[in-house]
Amino acid sequence: MPSTLSNPLRLGLRQERVIPPQCLIIFGASGDLTHRKLIPALFELYLQRRIPSEFAIVGCARRPWSDQDFKEKMKAKLANQISENENEWEQFSNYLFYEPVDLQQSDHVVRLSKRLNEIDKLQATHGNKTFYLSVSPNFYGSGCKALKAAGLLDDPKKSRIVIEKPFGRDYSSAKKLNQIVQSCADESQIYRIDHYLGKETVQNILVMRFANTIFEPIWNRNYISSVQITSSETVGVEDRAGYYESSGALRDMLQNHLTQMLAVTAMEPPGKFEPEAIRNEKAKVLQASKLADENEPWNCCIRGQYAKGGNSQKRLKGYRDEDGVNLNSTTETYIATKVFIDNWRWQGVPFYLRTGKRLPKRLGEIVLTFKDVPVHLFESTIINPAPNQLILRIQPNEGATFKFEVKSPGSGMKSRPVEMEFSYDESFGEPSDEGYVRLLADAMLSDPTLFTRSDEVEAAWKLYTPLIELMEDAPWKLPIQKYESMTWGPPESDQLLSKDNIFWRRP
Amino acid sequence: MKPQLTLQTPLELPHQEISNYLNQLWISEDEERSGANTFTLMVWQPAWLEQCLVKSGLISGPITGTLSPEIIKIAKKLIIDKGLSHTTSIYSEELLILLKENLSNNDFEDFRGQFFESSISTLNPRRLITLAPTLNKESEIKTFVSAYCPLSENTITQPICGDLVVIRGDSSSINQKGLKIIDKLSIKDLPTWLWWNGNLDESQEIFNYFTDQGIRLIIDTANGSPKRCLRILDQSIKSNKAINDLNWVRLKSWRESLAMIFDPPSRRPILDHISDIDIDIAEGNFLQALLLISWISDKLKWVFSKIDKHGELIKIEFKRNNGDKISTCINPVPLGNPSIHLGQVIGLRLISKISEVPKNNTCVILGCESVECMRLEAGGMADMQLIEQVVPNAFSSSEFDVSKLLGSSRGNTSPLFENSIKVAVQIFNSFNK
Repeated sequence: MPSTLSNPLRLGLRQERVIPPQCLIIFGASGDLTHRKLIPALFELYLQRRIPSEFAIVGCARRPWSDQDFKEKMKAKLANQISENENEWEQFSNYLFYEPVDLQQSDHVVRLSKRLNEIDKLQATHGNKTFYLSVSPNFYGSGCKALKAAGLLDDPKKSRIVIEKPFGRDYSSAKKLNQIVQSCADESQIYRIDHYLGKETVQNILVMRFANTIFEPIWNRNYISSVQITSSETVGVEDRAGYYESSGALRDMLQNHLTQMLAVTAMEPPGKFEPEAIRNEKAKVLQASKLADENEPWNCCIRGQYAKGGNSQKRLKGYRDEDGVNLNSTTETYIATKVFIDNWRWQGVPFYLRTGKRLPKRLGEIVLTFKDVPVHLFESTIINPAPNQLILRIQPNEGATFKFEVKSPGSGMKSRPVEMEFSYDESFGEPSDEGYVRLLADAMLSDPTLFTRSDEVEAAWKLYTPLIELMEDAPWKLPIQKYESMTWGPPESDQLLSKDNIFWRRP
Repeated sequence: MKPQLTLQTPLELPHQEISNYLNQLWISEDEERSGANTFTLMVWQPAWLEQCLVKSGLISGPITGTLSPEIIKIAKKLIIDKGLSHTTSIYSEELLILLKENLSNNDFEDFRGQFFESSISTLNPRRLITLAPTLNKESEIKTFVSAYCPLSENTITQPICGDLVVIRGDSSSINQKGLKIIDKLSIKDLPTWLWWNGNLDESQEIFNYFTDQGIRLIIDTANGSPKRCLRILDQSIKSNKAINDLNWVRLKSWRESLAMIFDPPSRRPILDHISDIDIDIAEGNFLQALLLISWISDKLKWVFSKIDKHGELIKIEFKRNNGDKISTCINPVPLGNPSIHLGQVIGLRLISKISEVPKNNTCVILGCESVECMRLEAGGMADMQLIEQVVPNAFSSSEFDVSKLLGSSRGNTSPLFENSIKVAVQIFNSFNK
C-alpha cells in the first residue's frame, strides 16, 4: 500500500509554465461546456498555482446575469468539485466577471470592449486577451467579425481566439470559415481546439516515437501490417440530441479526434519540437491520407445506429427513441472506416478507425499490429499465430501494452503471447490533467503546438469528403446498420476487417 | 549555442554622458523602436583566469568573459604542470597566484560585455550592464555603450532591441565610481537581475551594494566559501529578496532522478523507512551536498538532530516524527578529472530498512556514472533490493543555466530552495557552534 497519496519528493519539483497576466473571455458562458469543462479546468490551474494574480475570466452570453449571478451559478454547478477547496474557490471567484453580450449586436460588442478595458485596469492584465468561442458553430464566423470590428483582435501579440470543434461541416464550409477567421485575425492568433490533443497519452505518442530509438525504425510499412484507432463511448446521445442529429459520429468524432490520433501516429518526425514543425508534419500526413476506396466509399465504411439493449436491470433506449431525436433519424452513432496513407512510410498499410456511442466500454486506443515472422519455426505459432501488437491506451488506464511471443515453461517448445505493460498509474501514481487544463494554459501561453492549423482542419475534412458527399447524395449506398446497445457496433463493421483477414481488437 | 557579438563596436563615452546617450538612442519618430520591454541584466564578470592566461601569453586574446573549452583545457593542464593537487579548481586562488607571477604589462583587447550567449540574447534583455574588473591596478573607469538587436530565426517578427553598457576598471574604481554610474542606469518598471559570475568571497562591498538594492540575484555557491555563501543565502531569504543559485540549479537532475524513483506508488513505503543516506562529492566544497540533504529532509519532514565532522567526512543525523534515527554522510572523494565547479555531487546511496533480513530492505543508488553506482554498491548492498539509476549530466554552461533562470523565474526564490536553505543554515550553524 502506498504510504502517501503523492510522492513527497515530487512536490514542487515540476516547474510548470506560468500563464502571463491575462483576461480570458468566454462566449457561451451560460452553456454546458463552460461549467463542465472550462471553469473546472481554470480552477484546476488556479489550484496548481499557475494562474497569475493579474487575471480575469469574463463570462459572456445573452442571459442578463450580473458578475455575482455568474459566480453563484458556477459555484452551484461545480459544487462537487469545490467541496474540498471552498476557500480556494472563494479566492478564485474574485477573477470571475460577467457581461451580457449578443455577439450579433455591434453595440453589445462595443460595450464589452469598454468593460474589458475597465477589467484590464482593475486586474492589471496588461491588455492580454484570450477569446474563447464556446458558442454554436454557426456563430464562429460572425463572432470573429464582431470582435474584429470592435478592434479586439488588432494586436496579434496580445489577443488570441480559441475556437471549439466542429470547425465547419465539410471541406468547403471549413475552408470558407478559415477564410473568414483569417480575415479577422492572423493565423498565429487562432487556436482551433481539439481536446484529444490535450490528453497526456496522445502527447505521449510523440514522446514514445521520437524519444526512443527502438520504435521509429519499425514504425513503417516494412514492419507494421495494420493500425486500428478506436474511440468508444458507453453513453448514448444524452441531452445533446439537437446538436448530434445534425452532426453524427463522423463530424462529432471521426473527422477531428480520431483523425488527430491518426496524424500523431503516422506523422514523420519533425525537425524540431516546435509548433510549426509539428503542425507541418501533421498536415502533410493528413494531406497524404485517403479513404481506402474513394470511388466507391461504401466499400470502406460502415455506419451504424444504436438500437435498444441493456439488460433486465437496465433497459436502454434505441437512438431513435431518445428525446429530441427524429423517429426516422439516419444520423450515425457509429462509424468505422478504412484509410490508406499515400507516402513512403505507410504505403499499403490499412488504418482502421472506429467510433461509436453505446459500445460496451469507454476507451480510446491505438493498436499497431506488426507483420508476421517470415518463417514459423514453432508448432504453436504455425497453428495459432499471434502477431506482435503495440497497444497505446489513450483512456482509461492510460499506458501501453506490448504483446509478444515467449516460450511456455516445459520440456517442449510451445510458445504463447504475453504482455509487457506500462501504466501511467503504476509508474507515476498521479492522475494526469484533463485535456482542457493543458489546452487552456497553452492558448494563454500562446503555444499553438497542440492546436490544429487551418491546413490540418481542411485536410481532415477533405479526407472524408467522398463519404460526406455519399451520405448526402446517395445515402442508400451507405445505409445505417442497427446495432444493439452495449455491443461492439454492427456486425458489418467486423466484415470491413475480415475481408483483409484482420479482426477488431476486443479490448 | 555560440555567443553573439554586437554588430556595432561599443562606443567609449565618458560616464557622465551615458544616460543621455541611452535616452537619445530610443527617441525616434518610429514608435516601434522603443526597445525591449523585458529586464535589465547586470553581470559581474571578472574572468580572472582568462585575464591571467591572456596576459601570460598562454592563450591569445581578446578577453571575452566566456569560459571556453580551450581555457578549461589549458587551466587543467597548468594545474598538473605546476604541481598543484589534481583536485584543484580552475577557479582556485592558488592557480591565479601562480599565474600572476608572469604577467606581461601589455594591454589586450577586452571584449567582455560584448559577448553574450544566444540563449540569453534570445530573451531580449532590455539592458545588459557588464562590470568588468581588470587585473591592472589603478586602472581608471572606462565606459562603453552600444545598441544591439538579436537576430531572430523568425524573420516575420521585427527584431527586439536593447542596449548594453560595459563598465571597465579595477575593482576599487568600480566600487567607488562604477556603482554610481549603475545607479543612473536603472530602468524604472523593469526588473533587474544581477548575475555574480565570480567568487562570492571577493569584492564583497560591490556585492553588498547590489543586495542592498533588492536586485534579483543569481549566484553560484560552488564558487565561494560555504560560510559566506550560506550567509548570503540566509540573509536573502530573511530579507525576502529573490535569490537563485546555479549550484542548486545543477542539482536539478539529482532531485528529479531521486523523485522519479519514488513515482510508482508501490515504492513510496520505502521513504518511511530510510535509515542511511551517503552522498559522495568531489572535493573542495560540501555546500551542494548539504543543500541536497536539506531538500530531502525537508520533503520527508525529518528533524535535524546533530552534526559531526570526522576528518573530511561530515555526518549529519536527523529524526523522523516516530523518533527513528536517520544517519547521513557527506563523503568528499578525490577525482582525477573533477568538474570545473567545486564539490559537485557524484553519487547518492539511500538505504531503507524494514527488516533484519537484508533482502527485504532496499538500497537506492544514484550515480553520475555507472562506475560510481558500482562503487556505491560495494559492501553488501547487492544483498538488498537494488534500485540503481545513472543521473543524466546536463553539461550546460553557466550562461545557459542563467538564461533558463531568467526565462522561467518570476523573480521570487523557489520555495523548494528557500526551505532547503533554512535547513542547511540550521545544520551549518550547529556545526560552527
